[in-house]
Amino acid sequence: MESVFGLVGDGFAVVAADTSATSSILVHKTNEDKIMKLDSHKLLGASGEPGDRVQFTEYIQKNVHLYQFRNGIPLTTAAAANFTRGELATALRKNPYNVNLLMAGYDKGIGPSLYFIDYLATLHKVEKGAFGYGSFFCLSLMDRYYHSGMSLPEAIKLVDECIMEIRSRLIVAPPNFLIKIVDKDGAREYAWRESIKEA
Amino acid sequence: MSIFEYNGSAVVAMVGKNCFAIASDRRLGVNLQTVATDFQRIFKIHDKLYIGLSGLATDVQTLHQRLVFRHKLYHLREERDMKPQTFASLVSAMLYEKRFGPYFCMPVIAGLGDDDVPFICTMDAIGAKELAKDFVVSGTASESLYGACESMYKPDMEPEELFETISQALLSSVDRDCLSGWGGYVVLVTPTEVQERTLKGRMD
Amino acid sequence: MKLDTSGLNSIVPFSGTDDGLEENIHLAVSSFQLPRTTDFDGFQKKAVEMVKPAKGTTTLAFIFKEGVIVSADSRASMGGYISSQSVKKIIEINPYMLGTMAGGAADCQFWHRNLGIKCRLHELANKRRISVTGASKLLANILYSYRGMGLSIGTMIAGWDETGPGLYYVDAEGGRLKGKRFSVGSGSPYAYGVLDSGYRYDMTIEEAAELARRAIYHATFRDGASGGVASVYYVGPDGWKKLSGDDVGELHYKYYPVVPSPVEQEMVEIPVS
Repeated sequence: MESVFGLVGDGFAVVAADTSATSSILVHKTNEDKIMKLDSHKLLGASGEPGDRVQFTEYIQKNVHLYQFRNGIPLTTAAAANFTRGELATALRKNPYNVNLLMAGYDKGIGPSLYFIDYLATLHKVEKGAFGYGSFFCLSLMDRYYHSGMSLPEAIKLVDECIMEIRSRLIVAPPNFLIKIVDKDGAREYAWRESIKEA
Repeated sequence: MSIFEYNGSAVVAMVGKNCFAIASDRRLGVNLQTVATDFQRIFKIHDKLYIGLSGLATDVQTLHQRLVFRHKLYHLREERDMKPQTFASLVSAMLYEKRFGPYFCMPVIAGLGDDDVPFICTMDAIGAKELAKDFVVSGTASESLYGACESMYKPDMEPEELFETISQALLSSVDRDCLSGWGGYVVLVTPTEVQERTLKGRMD
Repeated sequence: MKLDTSGLNSIVPFSGTDDGLEENIHLAVSSFQLPRTTDFDGFQKKAVEMVKPAKGTTTLAFIFKEGVIVSADSRASMGGYISSQSVKKIIEINPYMLGTMAGGAADCQFWHRNLGIKCRLHELANKRRISVTGASKLLANILYSYRGMGLSIGTMIAGWDETGPGLYYVDAEGGRLKGKRFSVGSGSPYAYGVLDSGYRYDMTIEEAAELARRAIYHATFRDGASGGVASVYYVGPDGWKKLSGDDVGELHYKYYPVVPSPVEQEMVEIPVS
């Protein structure tokens, strides 16, 4: 089952997600990237119906780019999160998108931030957040070991513990996970945690 | 579970002597899972007018944004703040606009009107106004809040006592509700000052 | 119509008359009256919904070097309403054995008491205490015979017997699992998260108790249906002992003391308009 989670550390934010693309009992592939790079300093981790997830995150990405082309400055993470919420909320009473989002970003003068946006368009700024069945295991783990101002190795260790917990306690646990981070040097892939290699 | 109970909430407002207080819990949940404990349900419209929104969190945010927008338009056109009664009618009208696809939240409005006469009222999700002289409650802990307020409320309380009463009523009520609590937030408004406080509460 | 449960009585050397509940004091349950209705399933469903408090729960138990730790919260809820914050979810079956309670409160209480009787009778008949394995099997067999009739029980039987520490998970579907580490109830995934990451076999009793307390606390924080008091029991060679009962309302501020933040605003002057 899908699991997306993330946390904010000292000068960076990290988002991790499983990489399984499934439909009912079938696993299509195990290296699907569910964490989109919105712009140079923003990540958008998404879970939900595959169609909605891809359509919606791409729509947000293109609009964030459009804003940057028009105005020459990028949106702040807070602005991008509020824009995303607005789009999701408008869609909610017309043709809802079934996607849950974690938006992580780094802004000059503000630092790293993480926003929780669920499919109902509830927006909330958090230090640590999680979606899906994995959240039941990760949230308590993150509550236990999280502290403000975590270093990158500490944060990655916590993320790895969350992944191990999901793998060992969740039925139909996804085999592979992808970890991405965003800090002052930009958003980038950090590491894969694979137990199955795809050919 | 009802859509009104999806996120969990508790909102209460009380009238004192030339003052009022409005309070809410701070939990944001998804059914039984607590997602955050610093969610805001009470919003300032202007210095002497506050609105608390219980119910579905997304609609709380949407409605708040629309209300702020409408109040700003009013301010530009009229060059004055809205009276609480006027604002209540605005909220009611905006809710009824969505009669067949309502916002799933129930507002609590509290403000000081002309000559600093306190005004409180609540509404259902489609804008049926319910005025009160003493206190109004809303949210998943509303039944407990009715009990607590009914027994603790006294007319014409001074600001200090009003703060104590509303805080005690809120905290004891949310202790009987699974879906609200995790701390509290109180705003106390008198003709000369506004006091904002966050309350320590049980975190289970 | 009566359900014949006489087959269950075999391990008990003597049994009372079988003609009514009230006269049968030796074996509190020989038969239950069944409802006089044609729609038995429908009736069952409604009856179950009516008597279903203590739904949200977090309980856990684990075996370590020194014995077994059993821990639980104390909240009982009906829907969103908290009906009690002081429920005893760890049931003392005998001085060497504990049972935990998740699911229907009445079902758990009744069948644990019933198990206690059966364990005592075993002791009198055989001049030695029943093993944890035996006791849990006794309970599992009873529950299995009531399968599909709407009992709601998720329990752990923990204790110390001749073979050392013992821990079993037993549920109303008749399932019975032997293990080193279990958590049951709506808050169990949260508790597992903390428990799995902090568990080591060679903990001291203090470390183990703290781990259990911490796991229950984190479960009560995230799970709306768990809360109240985190009680911790320890079972060693000399029987069980209650180690602590901490109000999680206070525990939170012990683990996370409030740091004064600039969010709290001082009095603000309102400009007179």
